[in-house]
Amino acid sequence: METKIAYFRNKISMTQEELASKVGVTRQTIISLEQNRYNPSLYLAYKITKSLQQKNIEDVFMLK
Amino acid sequence: MIRNIIRKNEWFARRKYTGWGFTPVCWQGWVYVFVAIAPFILLTSFGEVNQTRIVLIVIWAIVVGIDFVDIMIHLPKDERDRIHEAIAERNALWTIITVLAIGVGYQAASGVVEGTLKVDPVILAAIFAGLLAKIVSNVYLDKKD
Repeated sequence: METKIAYFRNKISMTQEELASKVGVTRQTIISLEQNRYNPSLYLAYKITKSLQQKNIEDVFMLK
Repeated sequence: MIRNIIRKNEWFARRKYTGWGFTPVCWQGWVYVFVAIAPFILLTSFGEVNQTRIVLIVIWAIVVGIDFVDIMIHLPKDERDRIHEAIAERNALWTIITVLAIGVGYQAASGVVEGTLKVDPVILAAIFAGLLAKIVSNVYLDKKD
């Protein structure tokens, strides 16, 4: 799974810590997601998409 | 009840590299653990240990035991932490079972050679208890999800 979390996060000037706190995970999980090392649950993917002010989950998460 | 009133779950984290249980991650956590252990030190360090003190120690042990289990259950964990914990604990369990099975096999084999049956019942009980825990967990999880 590839993500554009870092791209959208920087676009709205949000830190990893802020995003982590908003979606209820640790900063380490956000780092793993941004480095495409961890595949999130659908629930977490939706929460991240919403927190990054995006409408479609496919815009943030892409299958390789 | 103690949770969120005088202690916060965020003060502790799952012990990852030094065994099982939890470890404090900030000074508040260390103070809490020290305050929790202090009555035991006070009750056992000074004067003669009488029956009243033993009753107090037992009450203390029950309260602290329940509280520490509560800390373990409510440690803050996200989904990645849970997956990592499950895999690490599974690997630990498989290793323990392998060692126990080798131990039972060795005891049974040496028993056969000596003409006696001397398999350690504690090892068998541990394996059986683990099997029961696995069955209960699977039944619960199958019903839940």
